[in-house]
Amino acid sequence: MLLQSFDDSYVERLREGDFRTQEHFVAYFTELIHLKLRSRLHSPQAIEDVRQETFARVLAALRGGKIRQPERLGAFVNSMCNNVLLELYRASARSTSLEDEEQDDFPTLNVDVLGAIATKRMGEKVREILNELPERDRRLLREIFLEERDKDDVCRDFGVDRDYLRVLLHRAKQSFKALYLKNIAARPPGMAVAKR
Amino acid sequence: MDHDEAVRQKATERYLLDELDPDLRDQFEEHLFDCQDCALDVRAAAMFVEQSKVVLAEPPVAAPARVPVPEPARAGCFAWFRPAFAVPVLALLLVMIGYQNFVTVPHLMQAANQPQVGPWASVNLSTRGEEATVIKVRTGQGFSLLLNLPPEDGFVSYTADLYNPGGKLEWSGSISVPAPGEGRQIYIPGRNRQSGTYTLVVHGVAVGGESKEISRHSIAVQIQN
Repeated sequence: MLLQSFDDSYVERLREGDFRTQEHFVAYFTELIHLKLRSRLHSPQAIEDVRQETFARVLAALRGGKIRQPERLGAFVNSMCNNVLLELYRASARSTSLEDEEQDDFPTLNVDVLGAIATKRMGEKVREILNELPERDRRLLREIFLEERDKDDVCRDFGVDRDYLRVLLHRAKQSFKALYLKNIAARPPGMAVAKR
Repeated sequence: MDHDEAVRQKATERYLLDELDPDLRDQFEEHLFDCQDCALDVRAAAMFVEQSKVVLAEPPVAAPARVPVPEPARAGCFAWFRPAFAVPVLALLLVMIGYQNFVTVPHLMQAANQPQVGPWASVNLSTRGEEATVIKVRTGQGFSLLLNLPPEDGFVSYTADLYNPGGKLEWSGSISVPAPGEGRQIYIPGRNRQSGTYTLVVHGVAVGGESKEISRHSIAVQIQN
């Protein structure tokens, strides 16, 4: 999934229903929406509902010519997602419901063999990075990410502060990022990385 | 929140660790959806965290089961002390010990206790150097980097990261704030050193613990035989 500029041309292709552009749009923003909603909603179905509704409204706004700044398409998607989320929280009838219109059903991301190989490669890289860490840092990450213990408690037990944890994650991410970028550049848009 | 602020505050890491308060989180998300660099950064970090959970959940590799090896027929308790075998081995050990005591160790002690002349390069951290600093060393020879830290910049300490030509983090260390007029030196050992461009990244650490990248320098190491 190569970097694409969100410009007039992109928005126009999206509005016209160009398949590749739509694939890229859905893949790109699906990951961001999932990251955004993971701490706010716990139900995968609720996350999926918000994702679908967000995309539906963005597309409707596109067709209605309501996106005036193509370069701020991302901020528009985020803002729309916030609105959908707010409505979900309020559990009220959506005033801008698309019930009377034909609703696009946005596909969930596909997983293919190429994605599975990429995941395996990335898993090996992560293993390599973790094996290079001191045992203490590995245990620290295990308790934070796997056992999901309270971060302040874990830091206190290990005698470190939150900045140490941030720097640890930052450096590990930097070591991993080159391979990650290589893999997503090779992946066709619309394809996700297979989850183990 | 703009991009520089997001990088300075390590917003990616804070976001994934759920450390941002609601306002900052909303600001970062608004930036994230518009900034493809930050979006990639967050996605890479999230993928790392997800894969880490899988790797960290794996049980430790068990030591291979020991297969009892049948004992060979004994030639007697003192078989190893037969002169035909023991004498040459002892002689070899004596030669090794003698060489170490009379040649190797004195040489090392002399090298460690006497002033050494070696290559060095000055790295000015007040500016973001665009040209690489070039340093020429012999095979196995180390070199020093003399750091000129920016004066009165308000940091309580610094951290330095050294990346090798392959982009891999080779070394990290903390640097205390020098007294006025004082510099800091990093000695880079020469053993197994390869030619290429190394990158030194220095972060300033503020009172609150926030870290900010203040300098990123390229050091082109040329090994000459």
